[in-house]
Amino acid sequence: MAERETLEVDVLIVGGGPAGMSAALRLAQLQKEKGGEPLAIAVLEKAREAGAHMLSGAVLDPSTLKELIPDFKEKGAPLATEVHGDDIYYLTRTSKFRLPITPPFFQNHGNYLISLNKFVKWLGGLVEAEGIDVFTGFPATEVLFDGDTVAGVRTGDRGIDKHGQRKSTFEPGVDIRAKVTIFCDGVRGNLTKSLVRQLGLDDGKSPQAYAIGIKELWELPAGRVKAGRVVHTMGYPLRNEEFGGGFAYSLPDNILSLGFVTGLDYRDPMFDPHVSFQHFKRHPLIASMLEGGTLVRYGAKALPEGGWYTVPKLYASGAMIAGDAAGFMNSARLKGIHLAMRSGMLAAETSFEAVRAGDTSSTKLKAYEDRVSNSAIRKELYPVRNVHQAFGYGSFVGAMFTGLSMFTGGGWVKDPLPGHGGWTRIKKLTEYYADARPDPDSTVNPVKIDRQLTFDRLTGVHYSGTRHPEDQPSHLIVHDASVCATRCREEYGNPCIRFCPANVYEMVDDGAGKKKLQINASNCVHCKTCDIMDPYQIIDWVPPEGGGGPHYEGM
Amino acid sequence: MILVVAEHRDGKLNRATLETIAAAQHAGGPVKIAVLGAGVDAVAAEVARADAAEVITVDDAALKDYTADGFVMALEQLIAAEKPERVFLPHTYQARDFAPALAARINRPLVTDCVAVKDGAVKDGGYVRPMFQGKLQADIAIDGPHMATFQIGAYRADAMKAGTAPIRKAAIAIDASKIRQKPEAPFKEAKQAVDLSQAERIVSVGRGIKAQEHLQLAQQLAQAMGAEIAASRPICDAGWLPMDRQIGSSGQTVAPKLYVALGISGAIQHLVGMKGARTIVAINKDPEAPIFEIADYGIAGDLFEVVPAMIAELNK
Repeated sequence: MAERETLEVDVLIVGGGPAGMSAALRLAQLQKEKGGEPLAIAVLEKAREAGAHMLSGAVLDPSTLKELIPDFKEKGAPLATEVHGDDIYYLTRTSKFRLPITPPFFQNHGNYLISLNKFVKWLGGLVEAEGIDVFTGFPATEVLFDGDTVAGVRTGDRGIDKHGQRKSTFEPGVDIRAKVTIFCDGVRGNLTKSLVRQLGLDDGKSPQAYAIGIKELWELPAGRVKAGRVVHTMGYPLRNEEFGGGFAYSLPDNILSLGFVTGLDYRDPMFDPHVSFQHFKRHPLIASMLEGGTLVRYGAKALPEGGWYTVPKLYASGAMIAGDAAGFMNSARLKGIHLAMRSGMLAAETSFEAVRAGDTSSTKLKAYEDRVSNSAIRKELYPVRNVHQAFGYGSFVGAMFTGLSMFTGGGWVKDPLPGHGGWTRIKKLTEYYADARPDPDSTVNPVKIDRQLTFDRLTGVHYSGTRHPEDQPSHLIVHDASVCATRCREEYGNPCIRFCPANVYEMVDDGAGKKKLQINASNCVHCKTCDIMDPYQIIDWVPPEGGGGPHYEGM
Repeated sequence: MILVVAEHRDGKLNRATLETIAAAQHAGGPVKIAVLGAGVDAVAAEVARADAAEVITVDDAALKDYTADGFVMALEQLIAAEKPERVFLPHTYQARDFAPALAARINRPLVTDCVAVKDGAVKDGGYVRPMFQGKLQADIAIDGPHMATFQIGAYRADAMKAGTAPIRKAAIAIDASKIRQKPEAPFKEAKQAVDLSQAERIVSVGRGIKAQEHLQLAQQLAQAMGAEIAASRPICDAGWLPMDRQIGSSGQTVAPKLYVALGISGAIQHLVGMKGARTIVAINKDPEAPIFEIADYGIAGDLFEVVPAMIAELNK
């Protein structure tokens, strides 16, 4: 049997997204500035290639980029276009009302439209050019501890079949031991999740609130849209009780980035984010843009919406958390890439000092949290600290609060406004529908799938480029699948078949007149929604064998 | 001149060879066909029924069993002697094994998995190959001598122009001591593994079949038609048929003459595995099912009524 290998580094960055890549670049810069014995640095990334699992709108606030890479233009940063116009629409089923003024936090003057996939691929190239190893196709599955000190991570085994048996290609995962590990494993990162739980890093914090964004790229007839135009929508197809909205960003070459974000704190157990997205596309405002166009890409990803009060303690002995994993997203501005990058930079600065000083204890790494508190991150997130929670009282209240908070500095009579784990708000079928209990296999708000504008989930999966070797254990672990056919079906009507945007969860006939859960794990687009939203909290998302997952080219 | 490298095993020609000959004929110019192996007269005679300038055999005991080294060695010499501008191969597992090594050895570009030869004014060679899982097609233009492999089903074997080609034995010596691979007896990973890409007729079942015991009906139809049985993913997931009978993006890609889809809705993942079939017959209850968009003949009806009628008619 193959021996487990061990690799020793000074700084290990888990997750090669905007935060992780920025951390690596900043470390390389510090190395050059300060000289001395170079640090051993490694970046782990579960995707087959840098950027392949990246999905965002995305509008980039270039403030951090300008600091990290002042000559980003010369270095060929893939910024698709500058934003040339912002429109916000309030939609009803058949009409639209354009807001006469775009509120300041929605203004995108000076920002860029980007493909986060291309952007991170570019950052990854810069990181590798600095001689830093980016290990793509290596998911981390476990945090390694020495006592209470984080000592690195273990990567996933390869070559295990679907029954858990070793195949001839079996290779055990590698232990990567590090003096400091920076966790940038993204929204609901599997390692950050276990680290936070194990060390109680969320004690005294508000629970994180999430949303799911479903996005498509469309190729439109020439001249349909003008590159640089940004459209946001509120209202239809969501109801006042549901948080979220749509976006349509016009990229060069007649490409439209179209998406719909829904809060994962909805009440209606029959609510279906994917169906909502299809309704959104059929609204005249959007349908008129898409007509005659073709779907090019599909994907989905959860977003951390909770804001400042939900950010966990950012450090522990030997460890720091950065980016979406820490929840650095501004839900009023719908932006987080620049915050992720900045948090990565600050974590890099702290880790560099700590390794050089030979002290990576939590006392030393607290400097990271102080840096964040004195940085543009807090300056931006603190004033909007209650915005998402205010939307918990309905979209109308939320919008009013967001407006008012500009005058109150974000405070309210209650500060923090109480938050809640989003999944706790979902109601049971009998509570929500009383006697008119719908069939769990039906859609309460059906949409016609015409395969022109609207598509089913499976078709979406195809356009996400998702691939997983079939012969491996399911990476969606349902700790008690007997609940599905019995309790969950009765109480909630199996909401997983609706909130999963990739048809991973299916209730199929068990051959004995009942239903059973079937997990189509190879469809998974790694959005993490099931891990977040399942009402019994019995689904654990763990990384599949390295390299599996979506291929978000251009997303 | 285009040199097509034939593929065969145990004296049986791989049908994909004929498709590649058709591709070469479509590209234009003289076509020669190379047959490598030991005791290949029968295979050579079979491909000599194509409209080609000649069939060249490299008959050597060292080539009895396929090895990458042996094939690279033989073809390197053959290509040096014949100087074909282009070398065409079917995109099979075997070609995937040695074609990159050969291309590197003779220092020629290799265009893989082509679905078409591009017509029109491309100097030395123009090809179409899928990208992004078939979502996009790339036009590739190549300068100078090169190699290309063709996807199974890209050209039809029966579109190959027939003729009578002379057969010539090439004087090529293989140094068996330089072959590093020691092939063992071929084995199939799964018992009764089937290569559906070679099937001329396929009856494929989907979720509409509802229960495992109904598979019998599909099997009867397959038997009556002399067809192989295959399935869409849910059927194989449920374990009703083995995984090696799955058609689609996570299964096999097939291009039979006739494909009968029973109760298959036509998810895009399935369609990419069978859209190359020449004639597609779909039977599905749902007239809106996407399978009907690519079917040549569609029956919107209950397969449990339609299939027995078909079997009865076929058995008459």
